Amino acid sequence: MLVKYIMVFGILYSSVYMMFSLGLSLAFGVARIAYLAYGALYTLAAYMTYLFFNHFHLPAYVSMILSVLSVSVVSAVINELIVKPALKFPVSILMSTFAVAYLIEDVIKNRMGLTPITLPSLTGVRVIAGVPVNEHWFLVLATSFVLLFLLYLFLNHTVPGKTLRAVAESWEESMIIGVNPLRVLRITMIIVGFYAASAGVLLSPLKAVTPNMGWSPLFTALAIVILGGMGSIRGTIIAAIIYGFVEQTLAWTMGSGIASIAPLIVIVATLVIRPRGLFGEEV
Amino acid sequence: MSGVVLEARNITKRFGGLVALKNVSVSVTEGEIYGVMGPNGSGKTTLFNVITGLLRQDEGKIIFMGKDISRLPPHARARMGIARTFQNIRVYPHLPVYYNVAVAALAKYRDKKEAHQETLRVLNLMKLLDDAWRPAGSLTPYKLKLTEFARALVLKPKIMLLDEPFAGLTPGESEMLIDVIRDLNQNGMTFVIIEHKLRYLMKIADRVAVLCFGEKIFEGKPQEAVRDKRVIEAYIGGGLE
Amino acid sequence: MALNPLRRRGGLRWFITKIIILVVLFVLPFTGLVNEYWLSVLTRVNIFLVLAITFDFFSGTTLYLNLGHSFIVGLAAYSLAIFNIFAHIPVALAIPLATITATIISLLLFLPSIRVKGEYFAILSLLYPIILISIATTQPFSAYLGGEAGLMSDQLLLGCALKLSPEHSLFFLTTSYYLLSLAMAVAAFIILYKLAYSDFGFTLRAIGEDEELAEATGVNTTRVKLKGFLIASALASLAGSFYAAIKPPITTDFVSPDSILIPILTAVIVGGLGSIVGTAISSYILFIIYEALWGVFGVWRTVVYMLILIVFVVLKPEGIMYQLYVKARKVLGGGG
Repeated sequence: MLVKYIMVFGILYSSVYMMFSLGLSLAFGVARIAYLAYGALYTLAAYMTYLFFNHFHLPAYVSMILSVLSVSVVSAVINELIVKPALKFPVSILMSTFAVAYLIEDVIKNRMGLTPITLPSLTGVRVIAGVPVNEHWFLVLATSFVLLFLLYLFLNHTVPGKTLRAVAESWEESMIIGVNPLRVLRITMIIVGFYAASAGVLLSPLKAVTPNMGWSPLFTALAIVILGGMGSIRGTIIAAIIYGFVEQTLAWTMGSGIASIAPLIVIVATLVIRPRGLFGEEV
Repeated sequence: MSGVVLEARNITKRFGGLVALKNVSVSVTEGEIYGVMGPNGSGKTTLFNVITGLLRQDEGKIIFMGKDISRLPPHARARMGIARTFQNIRVYPHLPVYYNVAVAALAKYRDKKEAHQETLRVLNLMKLLDDAWRPAGSLTPYKLKLTEFARALVLKPKIMLLDEPFAGLTPGESEMLIDVIRDLNQNGMTFVIIEHKLRYLMKIADRVAVLCFGEKIFEGKPQEAVRDKRVIEAYIGGGLE
Repeated sequence: MALNPLRRRGGLRWFITKIIILVVLFVLPFTGLVNEYWLSVLTRVNIFLVLAITFDFFSGTTLYLNLGHSFIVGLAAYSLAIFNIFAHIPVALAIPLATITATIISLLLFLPSIRVKGEYFAILSLLYPIILISIATTQPFSAYLGGEAGLMSDQLLLGCALKLSPEHSLFFLTTSYYLLSLAMAVAAFIILYKLAYSDFGFTLRAIGEDEELAEATGVNTTRVKLKGFLIASALASLAGSFYAAIKPPITTDFVSPDSILIPILTAVIVGGLGSIVGTAISSYILFIIYEALWGVFGVWRTVVYMLILIVFVVLKPEGIMYQLYVKARKVLGGGG
């Protein structure tokens, strides 16, 4: 019986994790930056949906799409103002994205307060293989697959996408061919923002929405990216599946408290046993 | 009297899909100056990285003074006596020249006093005492090379691996560097030198190896190397200086 | 190290200036110029200073940003509470015990991550405080750790203070706290300053400049990093347990990255990474500004702080405090 829960939710969570860890994977692998603001963008998108829906009274889907677009823009702005100038000094990027993350969260906290808000979601419950599942999950699942497919198309069948992959392989060689690294950075960060926001908009209605909720998805995505191997898209996908199931197993057998330290365990275990992850470059 | 100091046996190194080194074997005898040549990307620096431990070989062994060091971390190999310089000079730019050398000395010598004494001795040898307290980043390329030498020498190495030591130097400076190398060699130091500028390598190398696309295609006297067919073919793309 | 011209700059006049400043600081409570509120602010500044310079000592030199620095502080605070509440150890004795405990535990926990590259370390270290916070606030651990309300341990010297008359007890308490914190800050500063510019300190800096190079030239970077981390976390634990001892209840505020880490990062950047003096000065100035900002900005003052941090990181990562300090030394000291 429990196995069915784990199976169903394993699949659901894996697909979602796949989507939003790919965003982080691109940031690390392509842009080579530690984008600590990822979680805050996730949170920002959720709160913007709330604003559009509750204050401007826009329809739910419009609010969601609008927030994803806005947050993508925010990510691009962060890139221009903060990441680009800080590139000379890698430590600066860590610190500045960290500060930006807290900045965004603090602004949200000050304006919206700490009490959890609720976001529009599909209500209703369907039963799949004997397991009750929120209808909202189907929206999440469907959208995740669409976005994953779009990313696949982009990376494999468009020129900017292929350029991104080349840069992920090697900055130096790409530059020899004539790739403009700053342009690549810009595109990457917009995509990263897009996926962080999509994850935020889709996933957050299922849980409590607070200003500090961004760190948990960030660490989950991080654990997946590290497990899969930095810079390896294939690794991230496979790791997402593994992680999704492992986490759900922990959650359903030992409670969500233990499951919340799953990222830490995965990261430490990976770094100790095989630092490059499943498919990553040598560290 | 003359034994084999360093041996790289059947080294293979892959990066993702690329094979950087393919079954490369090199054997360096004590007191010789062994040159490594080859067009860009042929794996020369990768070989150095594998020998010094910055990269782990996929196959093969590194034997130093008869001991298999293939699994030792870089700092252990350095302390055993393998010193190296880098292609694009690497120093600690914001630290004073003194500490660029002293950090290595302090790592090797238990006794701090001895470490400092050795640092001063080596800085004196390289005539860097006057610049000792300037930040390393402010030095001219030639003096930076000397700093790298000093840092390598303070470890009392048995072998020095030099990666393109003549790059960025004027002809006058290059001649001075040749004298430095010759001096040390006459006092017993073994060298392995990667170099593009053949003119200088010819002057000092006893033997050379030529790498191309990760494979060793020639080994022997430098004068024979430039006449060898395979070597010439390999360089048509790269250009002989 | 007779050759080293990095020391002994400033001359006699500067040395005397420093002594005067120190004396003034120690005598301050007795002059009546400062009321209890500002004494407690200065006490907190001293503690914060220790946290900032310990961070700078390790992270500012090796560039291994320990974003989990607040975890060590929280660990020390909670250890103090546990020793005091559950083992009934008097607070004064619990401080050194908590310090040692927190240092050892941090060392063990950070051991696996220190062997990894600098960027991974930073992200990994961020996990620790977050995990500690969630452990402390969710069941089943929160029952033991006080949850949101925190643990109510005894307060240092409270017993002595209460024996005095009411007007005097407050003065006694705040003054003792202030003097103790000042002594701790001065001691920590001297220790870390000497170490940061010693042979060991330069080795740490070498790791920060080019770790791979250090490895290739004989430095056992893992061992050096661990030693640096040990020193930093020992002093940070001391500051953390002391802070817990004077300001119960012990809640997750002690661990929270935004209340501790962001101000530290700002102080370190503005002061100059790796400059103990610069960090110390900017700690004082920034913290006092932070307190003063409360009136002007209220809740938004943290945001202002973060903007300062971002601006400095992006535009002037080498900070300004160290340069200002050098200038001040020239002017006041007359030396070179």
